[in-house]
Amino acid sequence: MNEFSLIRDIERYLEGEMNEQEKTAFEALRQSDPAVNEQVLAHQQLIKQLEYFGRRSALQEKMDKIHAGLANKHVSIAPSSTPEPKKVFSISRRLLINMAAAAGIALLTSVSTIALMQRASRQKTTAEYEDVRRVLNHIQRSQNALINDINSSKKAPANPGTYGGTGFAVSNNGYVVTNYHVIAGADSIYIQNTKGEAFKAASVFEDITADLAILKITDSTFKGQPLPYSLKPQRAMRGEQVFTLGYPRDEIVYGEGYISAQTGFNGDSAAYQVSIPVNPGNSGAPLMDNKGDVVGIVTGKQTTADGIAFAVKSAHLKRLLEQMPKDKLPKKEWNHKNNKLEGLSRVEQVKKLEEFVYMVKVYN
Amino acid sequence: MKHNQNIERDRELLLGLTRNDDRALATIYTENYPSILRMVLQYNGSEDDAKDLFQEAMIVLYEKAQKGEFDLYSKLKTYLYAVCRHMWLKRLQTGSWQLALPDELEEVLPADDTNAIAEHEEKDQQFRIMEKAMGSMGEPCKTILEDYYVRKLSMQDIAEKFGYTNSENAKNQKYKCLMRLKKLFFEQYKS
Repeated sequence: MNEFSLIRDIERYLEGEMNEQEKTAFEALRQSDPAVNEQVLAHQQLIKQLEYFGRRSALQEKMDKIHAGLANKHVSIAPSSTPEPKKVFSISRRLLINMAAAAGIALLTSVSTIALMQRASRQKTTAEYEDVRRVLNHIQRSQNALINDINSSKKAPANPGTYGGTGFAVSNNGYVVTNYHVIAGADSIYIQNTKGEAFKAASVFEDITADLAILKITDSTFKGQPLPYSLKPQRAMRGEQVFTLGYPRDEIVYGEGYISAQTGFNGDSAAYQVSIPVNPGNSGAPLMDNKGDVVGIVTGKQTTADGIAFAVKSAHLKRLLEQMPKDKLPKKEWNHKNNKLEGLSRVEQVKKLEEFVYMVKVYN
Repeated sequence: MKHNQNIERDRELLLGLTRNDDRALATIYTENYPSILRMVLQYNGSEDDAKDLFQEAMIVLYEKAQKGEFDLYSKLKTYLYAVCRHMWLKRLQTGSWQLALPDELEEVLPADDTNAIAEHEEKDQQFRIMEKAMGSMGEPCKTILEDYYVRKLSMQDIAEKFGYTNSENAKNQKYKCLMRLKKLFFEQYKS
């Protein structure tokens, strides 16, 4: 038997390609010829080595790739790897004290400079961001008074409020969400619907970091109805069309735009950047996608640039609702099944929606 | 609670390693390499030393995972650190400059793992021989064997890649290649 056919037989034997007959014949040969047996064992060892080689080379290759990726962004902590022979200075004690004092002063100066710079920059960023709650001015007050005269049956307090924002229903039994900054420091809160009916409300749950507040309408005259929309738990995609309804005036105003980025002001990951017309009074307005699902809550805009508004993601509202104490919890399943707006034209969607979007008036 | 979560996570990562999941490998690598780099630099090693050392420890870990051993006595991080330290210690001792070992480099590794490392060193030697043998193989043998044993292609794929009319012909070529490799490997191995 020549070397080649032996190797072939060993390989076929080890890889299990032989049929029963061949196998028995080969095993008999192995038994009778120790040289063949030795070759089989050697071959097994070779294959084992080869497989180890294969595993390890593949691993090494992958690791080198990872390492290369690491090296790119990795800030080397290495001091120069070939340390130069150290020079020895002898420093007199007095010089040492002087140097320490100088270093101390230098440190103090730089630390205070950094602190100052940071403070300045913080002031700057807050200046760039503007909550879009509305300071109700005199003209609007007089307009409001007129409306109040007409709707004398359900009348809001004669004083139209100090601040205004928008809110929308998150349950069928009088829970409304708005921005925290709208109701911050409020003595009393009134909710007014598109028909001009006003209801007294109280804040029951607040999340300052997400800038959200849940209000409960306390008036017994309020009658809720099933919500036609739901909360979208997934993230809205960049470029998705969105629209909003809010009260920058005493009348509800429609606006539309699109999601422009997945993060909000200064990279805030809890919010979207939205390109949509937003004015004081829009704070707390719902941001809806084409199907009429709530994807966010309008909170503010950037003053230094046009067309940049921000909205808290709906996932945060969902989480907030889940966190609410059980006895206060509006019972509600937020699945898309409840959505009655999908497929309707925008005009019809808005018509249905505006009954659930309220003006929030705050007195303090 | 936190501790349990960590162990759970480490276990997941090891399972990933067994499945050849690249993400698990990348996670373990990126999370643990920095601390090894720091250690090696601290003891006058270079960045290349750290890379070598760490990759070797990863190979030990990988082989362990492949064998289905997940009973780490400690967190993955501690394990890798200890293995690296052990190997670094050995290198320092066998190196040309006999450094006095810092006290903190005292051994903490259980016997099991020192065995694993000793085993690794033996395998490492054989690996070098195989590497050399493969290096001196000509084409197409080198690529055929690498395709089959490293990249795990089927003989059918290899036949297509190299333009053999069927996989039988490719296999015959592979047998020839193995014959040559066997000679090269055992020449080195026995000497």
